[in-house]
Amino acid sequence: MKRYVIRRIFSAILTVFIVLTLNFIIIKAAPGDPIKSLMGKDTNDPALRAALEEKWGLNEPAYVQYGSYLINVLRGDLGTSIIYNSSVNSMIGAKAGPTVLLGLTAALAALVVGTALGIFCAQHEGGIIDGLLSAISYALDAMPSFWLGLMLMIVFATHLGLFPTSGMTDPRSSYTGFAHILDILRHMALPALTLALVSVPGYFRIAKSSVVQVSNEEFITTFRAVGMSEKKIFSKYVFRNAILPTITTFGITMAFLITGVTLIEIVFAWPGMGRLTMTAINQRDYPTLMGIYLVVAIGVSVVMIVVDVVYALFDPRIRYE
Amino acid sequence: MDRRKHAGLARVKEAFLYDWQFRAGVAGVVILLALVVAAPLLASHDPYEFGVDNLAPPGTAGHLLGTNHMGQDAYSMILYGIRTSLQVALISSLISGVLGVLIGGAAGYFGGKTDLVISELINAFLMVPTFFLIMLIVALFGNSITNVMIVIGITNWPGNAKLMRAQALSLRERTFVRGAVAMGETRLQILFKYILPNGIFPVVANTTRGMAGAILTEASLSFLGLGDPNIISWGQMIYAGKNYITTGWWVSAFAGAATILTVIIFYLLGDGLNHVLNPKYAFESRGK
Repeated sequence: MKRYVIRRIFSAILTVFIVLTLNFIIIKAAPGDPIKSLMGKDTNDPALRAALEEKWGLNEPAYVQYGSYLINVLRGDLGTSIIYNSSVNSMIGAKAGPTVLLGLTAALAALVVGTALGIFCAQHEGGIIDGLLSAISYALDAMPSFWLGLMLMIVFATHLGLFPTSGMTDPRSSYTGFAHILDILRHMALPALTLALVSVPGYFRIAKSSVVQVSNEEFITTFRAVGMSEKKIFSKYVFRNAILPTITTFGITMAFLITGVTLIEIVFAWPGMGRLTMTAINQRDYPTLMGIYLVVAIGVSVVMIVVDVVYALFDPRIRYE
Repeated sequence: MDRRKHAGLARVKEAFLYDWQFRAGVAGVVILLALVVAAPLLASHDPYEFGVDNLAPPGTAGHLLGTNHMGQDAYSMILYGIRTSLQVALISSLISGVLGVLIGGAAGYFGGKTDLVISELINAFLMVPTFFLIMLIVALFGNSITNVMIVIGITNWPGNAKLMRAQALSLRERTFVRGAVAMGETRLQILFKYILPNGIFPVVANTTRGMAGAILTEASLSFLGLGDPNIISWGQMIYAGKNYITTGWWVSAFAGAATILTVIIFYLLGDGLNHVLNPKYAFESRGK
C-alpha cells in the first residue's frame, strides 16, 4: 500500500513538473516581445532595453529563468495580473470557492444518479427503459455543455421563469442565514443541472457495464445455482464489485468536469474561475491564464491521487499488485 | 495476404449488414460529405453576407432557420459550417493519431527504459486537463483555424499512444515478429513493417471518437471567443447567439443541434469500427 501511494504521488509530482515546464516553454515561445511592450512602440533605446532586461531578469540564460520561475511557483507565487496589477493568487483564491461548490455539487449528483440508473439498466438490460436511457446518454455525451446550458436557460428561466438566468445571488436583496443559502441554491439549480446532465453518461456507462460484467462472472452463477437469493447476491457481491469503477470514474472525469464548469459558469454568469478565465482571455491577461492553468492542473492531479488512494483502500487487488 | 484482405472485406460487409451503428455512422459521414460538396447549391443565401433582416425568426423572408444579429442566414451558415467541423475533426485527429501511433508503438516495442519514460509521460499527459492547455496556447499564439487544429492534434495523442503501446507490447511476442528478428531485420524495419500496421486498428477506432472530441473542443474554444473570426463555425454561431438568447434562441439552438448530430455520427462510426476491427466481436449473436 505504501509503495503504491508513493508511486502515485511521484506521478502527480511529475505531472505538475511537466505542466510547469510546458507553461514556461509556452511563455518563451509565444510571439511578442515583453520588453518592447514595456518600452512602448516609439522608444528603441538600447540602454533602456538593457536596463529593463536586467530588472526582469530577461538577460539571464533560459535555464536560469526557468529555475527562478520554478522557485517562484513552488513558493506559491503565481505572478501578477498585467491588467489588474493584483496578484494572480488572490484573484484565483477569490473565485475558487464558487467553482468548487458548483463542480462538486454537480459531480456528486451525477455520480449518484448516473450510477443508480446504470445499475437499474444493467438489471433490466434490453428493456424499453434501458434502450431509452442508453440513447439519452449517447445524446448527452455528444452535447456541448454550454449549448445545453443555454437551452435549459431558455426553457426554465426565460419561458417558465422558474429559476434566475444568471449570477450566484440576487443583487437586489441582501438575504442572510437560511434565506441566503436558499438564494444560492436557486441560482445554482440550472448550472448544476446542466453540468450534472453532461457528466451522467460517464457514470451511467461504467456502472451499467460493470454490473453486467460482474453478473456474468462464474461465482455469481454458482451462487445462483446453490439457491442464494437474488437480493443477497446483488447487495453482497454484484453491487460491491460494480461500485468500485465509479470511484475511478470520479477521478478520470475530473478534468472533463473542470472544463465543463468553466464553460457553464460563462453561460450562467456564475462568479467563479470560468468567468475569470473568460475575462483573462478577452483582455489577453496571460499571467492570470497561466495561473489558472497551473491551479487547475495541480488541483486535478491532487484529486486524482486522492481518488486512486481511496480506490486502493477499497480494492485490495490494486495495492497488492 | 490476399486471403486476409478478402476476410477483411467480408467483415466490413458483415458489419454493414448486421451492425446498425456502423451502417448509421458510414451513412452519416457520406451525407455530411455530400452536404459539404453541395453546400453552394443548397444554401439559400451567401453565409458571409450581412442581410437586412437582423434576428429574423425561422421561416421569415426566406430564412429557413432565421438570421443572426448581423442578418446572416443561419441555415446557410450551418451548411457551410459542416466543412469547418469536418476539417477540424480530420486534421486534428490525423495529427493525434500519427503521434500516438509513433510514440506508443516505439514505447511498446522498444520496451525497457524508453517504455518507462514514455509511459510515465503518457500517464502525466492523460492527467493534465487538456482543454486548458489548448486554450492557453490558442490565446497566446493566435486563434486561426490552422492553429486550433494543430493544437487539438498535438494535445490529444496520449490516449492513442496508450492503446498503441498495449498493442505493440503484445505484438512483439508474436511468432511472425520473432521470425523477422531471426531473419535479421532491423528494429526500425520491424516497427514500421510489422508492429505499426498490425496494431493500428484500435487506434483507428479511438481516433474516430477523437474526431467527435475535436469538434466539441473547437466549439468550446469558439464559445470562449477563441474561434477563428474569418470562418464560419457552429461554435461561433452558438457563441454569437448567447447574447441574444432571450430574443433570438434560434441562432444558438440550430447550430448546437447540428453539432450534436455530427458528433453522434462520429460516435456511431467509432463504435461501429470498434466492432468491425475487433475480431472477437460477433455481429449476429447480438441479435435484435
